[in-house]
Amino acid sequence: MIYQLTHTTTYDYLEPVSLSHHILRLRPRELAYQNCFAHAFAIEPSPKRFGAHTDYYGNRASFVEVAEPHTQLVIRSLSKVRRKVITLASPHETPAWEHIRDLSRGIQLGAALEASEFLFDSPLISSAEKFADYASPSFPKGRPILDAVLHLTHRIHQDFTFDPEATAVTTSVETVMKTRRGVCQDFAHLQIACLRSLGLPARYVSGYIETLPAPGKEKLVGSDASHAWVSVYCHAHGWIDVDPTNNLLVSARHVTLGWGRDYSDVSPVRGVILGSGDHTVKVAVDLQPLPYDGTSPLRAVIE
Amino acid sequence: MSSSPSGTLENAGSLFASYRGLERLHDESVTHDGALRPDWAPFATLLEELGPDELQARSENARRIVREHGITYNVYSDPEGADRPWELDIVPLLLPPHEWQTIELGLTQRATLLNLILKDLYGPQELLRTGALPPVLVFGNPAFLRPVHGVRVARNIYLHLHGTDVARSPAGDWWVLADRTQSPSGTGYALENRIVSARVLPEEYRQSQVQRLAPFFAAQRETLRALAPKGAENPHIVLLTPGPYNETYFEHAYLARYLGFTLVEGGDLTVRDQHVYLKTLEGLQKVDVILRRVDDTFCDPLELREDSFLGVAGLVQAARAGSVTIANALGSTLLESPAFLAFLPTLCQRLLGEELLIPSVATWWCGQAAEQRYVLDHLSDMVVKPAFGPVAQLPFFGRNLTKAAREKLAADIRARPFAYVGQEQVGFSTVPTWVDGKLEPRGVAVRFYAAATGDGYSIMPGGLTRISGQSGNPVLTMQSGGSSKDLWVLSDRPVAPVTLLTPSGQPATHTRISTELPSRVADSLFWLGRYSERLESTLRLLRCLLAQLSDEGSAEVPGELSALAEMLVLTERLPKKFAGRIPFRKLEAELLQLVYNPARIGGVRELVLRLRQIASTVRDRLSIDTWRILTQLQLDSKTRAGRLPLANALNVCNTLILDLAAFSGMEMENMTRAHGWRFLDFGRRLERAYNLADLLRASLFVDEKSALTSVLEFADSTMTYRRRYFAELNLGSVLEVLAADRTNPRSLSFQLDRLQDHALGFPELQSANLSATVPQQVAALSTKLLQIQSNQPADRARELLKELLSEIASDLSSLSDQITKLYFCHTLSVRIGARL
Repeated sequence: MIYQLTHTTTYDYLEPVSLSHHILRLRPRELAYQNCFAHAFAIEPSPKRFGAHTDYYGNRASFVEVAEPHTQLVIRSLSKVRRKVITLASPHETPAWEHIRDLSRGIQLGAALEASEFLFDSPLISSAEKFADYASPSFPKGRPILDAVLHLTHRIHQDFTFDPEATAVTTSVETVMKTRRGVCQDFAHLQIACLRSLGLPARYVSGYIETLPAPGKEKLVGSDASHAWVSVYCHAHGWIDVDPTNNLLVSARHVTLGWGRDYSDVSPVRGVILGSGDHTVKVAVDLQPLPYDGTSPLRAVIE
Repeated sequence: MSSSPSGTLENAGSLFASYRGLERLHDESVTHDGALRPDWAPFATLLEELGPDELQARSENARRIVREHGITYNVYSDPEGADRPWELDIVPLLLPPHEWQTIELGLTQRATLLNLILKDLYGPQELLRTGALPPVLVFGNPAFLRPVHGVRVARNIYLHLHGTDVARSPAGDWWVLADRTQSPSGTGYALENRIVSARVLPEEYRQSQVQRLAPFFAAQRETLRALAPKGAENPHIVLLTPGPYNETYFEHAYLARYLGFTLVEGGDLTVRDQHVYLKTLEGLQKVDVILRRVDDTFCDPLELREDSFLGVAGLVQAARAGSVTIANALGSTLLESPAFLAFLPTLCQRLLGEELLIPSVATWWCGQAAEQRYVLDHLSDMVVKPAFGPVAQLPFFGRNLTKAAREKLAADIRARPFAYVGQEQVGFSTVPTWVDGKLEPRGVAVRFYAAATGDGYSIMPGGLTRISGQSGNPVLTMQSGGSSKDLWVLSDRPVAPVTLLTPSGQPATHTRISTELPSRVADSLFWLGRYSERLESTLRLLRCLLAQLSDEGSAEVPGELSALAEMLVLTERLPKKFAGRIPFRKLEAELLQLVYNPARIGGVRELVLRLRQIASTVRDRLSIDTWRILTQLQLDSKTRAGRLPLANALNVCNTLILDLAAFSGMEMENMTRAHGWRFLDFGRRLERAYNLADLLRASLFVDEKSALTSVLEFADSTMTYRRRYFAELNLGSVLEVLAADRTNPRSLSFQLDRLQDHALGFPELQSANLSATVPQQVAALSTKLLQIQSNQPADRARELLKELLSEIASDLSSLSDQITKLYFCHTLSVRIGARL
């Protein structure tokens, strides 16, 4: 599947901003099953400095400085992504969850060392007994990890209500647990809190989901916006992604931007401005499947 | 030397004769049977020669110097929020040469080791890959800053300044208690301690052959210069402080001045095109090296803690681009986690192939099963600390916990074992300390310092020596009320004097002394000028009133006084109820409030406090003498009402007016005529002109004769007036003296002339149009003033006069706003984010 992706972030400021710095994590990551073969930024006003580096987690990050007075900043990220279908391990083939937990204790080597990066408290997620308690019905003794995780994903989908009004960027996982409402970011954080509280490495994935409804099916939540989900460490089977907002294993309809311990590591746009700070922000995402015919309708914008 | 240096000296003198150490602890000066240790004998003899009375006198002298130098330490819990004078005990701690050599080697090894660990953990992480360190120590540690992982640092130096807290065990060996790798405080205090102790014990200091501290600072400065990014010929080094509310702000200002670095706050810096710049009056100036005293997580709201207002947005990117050297490197705090102590012996073997020379106090990290069990089994003998997180957090002393508290702690350890360490509770050695006229043993710990030199480390031959408040109190922090000592590292040969101002063998031009003025500093100096003048005018008015009040005995306020009171109402210095005839008692009570009540807005003490606060933000720009005057001013303002409140209030006003005269004299005679002085004096002149215009306007509304007497008195121009006009008071002549006379330093036209001089000398702004605005505004004011002079005060003209004076006052206010907008504007950075 080929996707054409446009992610537009528009800031409108009440008073002129003389200087702004942003870090963007908007370029889809290269993966075994994903290839971003074209990418470009269109930023207005055009930045004085544009620098790119690979961050600690291997995501592509761009540093943008706008040094002229402006009352509006538009950041457009344009990508073309080839997304392959992958065959995932069948849940009952995966090792017992305790096996993964015990791997992550003490000294770790190799892949388990990298997994342990996602085991501990992070800026927005702290382990707690209440998360372990909530998760434990899905984790009886000896249950294969993916089986257990899917069960938990299903329960979160059932127990929690999608409600964009209920939370803000700053809402804590504790609050989400209490109110049982939130958006994809909240559900991902919650599921990660549950898994880490059981001693299982889990990471936060930032990306998009294609929202065209299949015939006769309901339109999926998360359309026309960024999306977020969870990746869980399954040892020999690598990392497997699950989407608690849609109660899904991650499929060819998900496009991955990058990952980190929680939202704060991979927020697509993060910025500091010199100014009064009164502003509004609009985010528009368009993920269009394209029949691949070898020509690029994006050629005009991508250099 | 007249004394016998023999180690077997009897404690014949009166000081050491009765001095004993504490049971089961090592004493630095005497053995268990009370005999002087040989290394202390010569110094002890010198002290005995001084005798207790002289020692007491010198101790008081030391205290006075500390106060006069304004050496302070902010204590967060202090309700006054004021700085507390630094505590220095007069008896130094001595370290003999043979012992020092061992310590020096051990500290060099330790700093080298810690730097290698940082280099690995912020680079290839071999220590994790090979299992030498458990990952939780790094990945579970909030001090591990992922955004700076992989950021290259100049010459692989991460740890430019390392502080090691050390104490001596009962067996007499030195143990490391903690490593300070963030941005260790105390070198400045150590230096001040040295200056004071060498001054009050000059002969003892000379005879003891004490090693000098200056070369250490010179090495630190040279290294920072050498580490500047390539191409910086005369590198610009700044000291980044969180600001005057930080506990060690005194030291930041002190070190900045001593090392010749510019003292800056986060808001003074900006990142443009991946370079760091200082915002000065003359524009942006590139910064090459940042000596930081801001915690690393607070250094960049873009990539580190987003709620920080102390940092610079884009600093991490600048570091990534290699355009700035930051000392210590961002992320260095990682090694302050006490859990690392448990791993240092093996890491030292692995990375250096050596034994760790100075052992750490026994530390068990609970993240390992056996260690966890040991800590839980011995909880009552343990000091339990969080393995990560703020070191400042107070530890649990197992011995002091109730049974319930201990069980709670044990449960917490079991739940999150990796988050705790247990340490053996050690008894520190004691050192003779001057308490209430005699020597007493006090627990002692030392912070030693290592500064990177490029090919190794240089160790400060001295350190910050802290002693416990009471014998037996194991907590040694200045925050919790301990005291400090100088540390004398003795040499076995004579010591040559050194000063930092003339580094040997180097041309004097080598050192760049910062001359640029950050916009924030110009802003503060402007307000320093305004507030000192505001305080003075308030004092002068109060003095007029108080003097008249004390002359009167009647219950009703007489005409002259009531006219003045009414003018103060008109200028909003007194509440409305004091207009018209008012009872004597009420006015008196109100005035006393203005003098004595610190909470009264616009009152004397509130103004003094504000003045002092503003001054403290530019402390590195004020001379020691100026600071001394301000300290005196604050002391003088704090008198009590006593039994003669009115007379006493008058005294206070007189004293403070003299203090302020000393302050402005210092400013006139001692400040370089650079932009800093211009803005200070501009502020003073603007405030003076405003107050006078305002008061003159008010005088037109009340009984003329009484009012004019007071205004002349207020403007210190009564004598001038009498000499010039023998006639009765009249408005025309008073205006001649107070408005028109260009030679009277209290007149309006004098102030406007000065304002114009300054305005023409202000730094060029980007646009010539803007640069002209301030001189134009001042010129317009002078024109208005001329109209006043040409108007003879006939009754009709009086209305016009009121209007003109009122316009002048409000124009002066807008001029102040204009200055702020043109020169000081530094809006706060705000973080913005998009919701998913």
